[in-house]
Amino acid sequence: MRQHSAILCIGVVASIALFAAARDAQAQDKVIKIGGLFAMSGPGSYFGVQDKQGIELAIEQLNKTGVNGYRFEVQYEDSACSPLPATQAAKRLLEQYKPEVVLGEECSDATLAIMPLMEQAKVPLLNAGSSSIKVTDPGNPWTFRIMPNEVMQGVDIATNAYKRLNARTAVLLYENTNAGIGNAKVFGDTFKSLGGQILADIGFGRDVNDFTAIATRIAGLGKVDVIPTYTLEGQGLRITQALAQASVTKGGGGQSIQLGTIWLPFGFEQKAGKAAVGYVRIVQFDPTDKRDVVQNFIRSFKAKYNQEPTHINAHAFDQILVVADVIRRGGKDSQSIRDIMATTKDFSGVTGSVEFDKTNQNTKMDTIHYMETSPDLSWKALGWN
Amino acid sequence: MLTVVLQQGINGIVFGSLYVLVALGLTLIYGVLVQINFAHADVVTIGAFAAYFFTFAFGGNYLISIGIALMVGAALGWLVNAAIFAPLRERGSELLPLIATIGVSILLQNAMLLWFGPIPYAFDSPYSNKVIRLWGGTFITLQNLIIVVVSTLTIALLYAFMKFTYMGKALRAVAQDRETAGLMGVNPNQLIMLTFVIASALAGMGGAMLGPILVLTPFAGTTVIVKAFAIVIIGGFGNVEGTIIAGLAVGLIESYTTQFINPGLTDIVVFTLLLLMLALRPTGLIAEKREENV
Repeated sequence: MRQHSAILCIGVVASIALFAAARDAQAQDKVIKIGGLFAMSGPGSYFGVQDKQGIELAIEQLNKTGVNGYRFEVQYEDSACSPLPATQAAKRLLEQYKPEVVLGEECSDATLAIMPLMEQAKVPLLNAGSSSIKVTDPGNPWTFRIMPNEVMQGVDIATNAYKRLNARTAVLLYENTNAGIGNAKVFGDTFKSLGGQILADIGFGRDVNDFTAIATRIAGLGKVDVIPTYTLEGQGLRITQALAQASVTKGGGGQSIQLGTIWLPFGFEQKAGKAAVGYVRIVQFDPTDKRDVVQNFIRSFKAKYNQEPTHINAHAFDQILVVADVIRRGGKDSQSIRDIMATTKDFSGVTGSVEFDKTNQNTKMDTIHYMETSPDLSWKALGWN
Repeated sequence: MLTVVLQQGINGIVFGSLYVLVALGLTLIYGVLVQINFAHADVVTIGAFAAYFFTFAFGGNYLISIGIALMVGAALGWLVNAAIFAPLRERGSELLPLIATIGVSILLQNAMLLWFGPIPYAFDSPYSNKVIRLWGGTFITLQNLIIVVVSTLTIALLYAFMKFTYMGKALRAVAQDRETAGLMGVNPNQLIMLTFVIASALAGMGGAMLGPILVLTPFAGTTVIVKAFAIVIIGGFGNVEGTIIAGLAVGLIESYTTQFINPGLTDIVVFTLLLLMLALRPTGLIAEKREENV
């Protein structure tokens, strides 16, 4: 009898365990498919590598317990930071993988190219790195952006340049893309409206290698207080070095302060060397931020990758957190994810907070952090926002 | 203003010298084989990476790294020709080797992407920040001076080799008439191999000197090669002297366009010149019969 009871008990426990396992398995069967459109090749591919790191980390953490019974799965396509490959990658992703939500792209030209496809497929696109105003103005119901747009950034940078740095003259340096031209124009318009003067407006293609000629031209312009620069990392490095060699910027013994954008990752200073001293730029992530979400992110990122996270890692991590927040609030398919995402308020992520306006643009400015490169190539947060 | 004009002249000559090094390899291969080598850009990139890793990973001297890149380029030229181009040429098709150069280019780019990753490398020569002040406020960095000196010496040596040595004369003979050169006791296949080795060595060396200037990624060489093709056409396909003049001219045009017009228009200016050359003087700056080139 005692033997029978023992067998019965074991059977009951085993059944409960099997039932629980089956229930967990069922919960884990519910998957939110996320498409990732990022540059994995070409000059913008440093974005894709770092985006992927942030996304993988977030998904690994969330899938340990799942969110509302869902786990997350992601498939990447190489959108190459350029309109044509981005369009082809988006089509592949939508037709073959059929994601519920898509993340990307970083480059504005590529984002603008894929937006109509997302709208047509009725799949929400969550963007974290494109600054062109055209992404959310006049507004597209299926496109969301968590970073400040070029107008928000440009007005802020120009105002700070004029009021905090007492800059009165500027030279605009930018790549000839939607984002480059747009950002430079907003800076120029704002700076002039405040009373500043634009001494030169210099755009260039992404294939330009030699910036000594541009630096020479700027050196011949006389006193230039600030040089707002809108380029990808590679060209940004060479511009900074060329300006220092021509003794234009502080890093080369000159007086001008280079102003940089959200496009440059951490580590830029170490690559540029002494030429970067005095460089003031904005980033989307401040590692000195004491909030738990930030410090936990830094710890887990270092543990996984054995390196310091960059703001590109951080905003990619936040993209997944925003999606998870929507799933937690009941999102389960593309339509419901879009609808719930549009109501996002008071979301607090690693880069800052998120609240979308009616054009699906994040209205919060605390995702912009100003920093300045110190002589030892470390940087200090300026705390301007 | 005079200072700026002089400075832009110096900038133009520096970059023009690099253009010449890269373009000479293209023109040599075309002169001997009448073949366009699309993989040439990737040899430039590999040369840059070879110099980078020799200098930074192994703590080597930058000047020696230029020689290392030259040897890596030469070895790669030998390997690619022996393994891919030579067997295809033996089949008698002119199209197959041309398409193969595109394939080799894609293969090399993706291999580099796999090994080196897509994030730009900061290849800083120890000579980049050493500035030599010249007359009237102009300057040249020691790195740029090295570029001009090494390029000039290399071009002079190549020119002397082609004009005054037996091998150089044999190469020109193969370029004129491969079959007749063979009947005269010259081994055309060996000389084609030599052409690939020299061209790739020049590209590798160019890469080592471009490394500290380029945005060093697996795609770095492609940004230079388009200009190199334009230079080869402007100079006259397969013409060494024309390529040297055209390379320096393009470097200067880019600098002065940046100064006086707009850096965003440099490509338009260069390629307008290219179209004008094609329309008005399709033989290039130095008009010779192809047989007399190389």
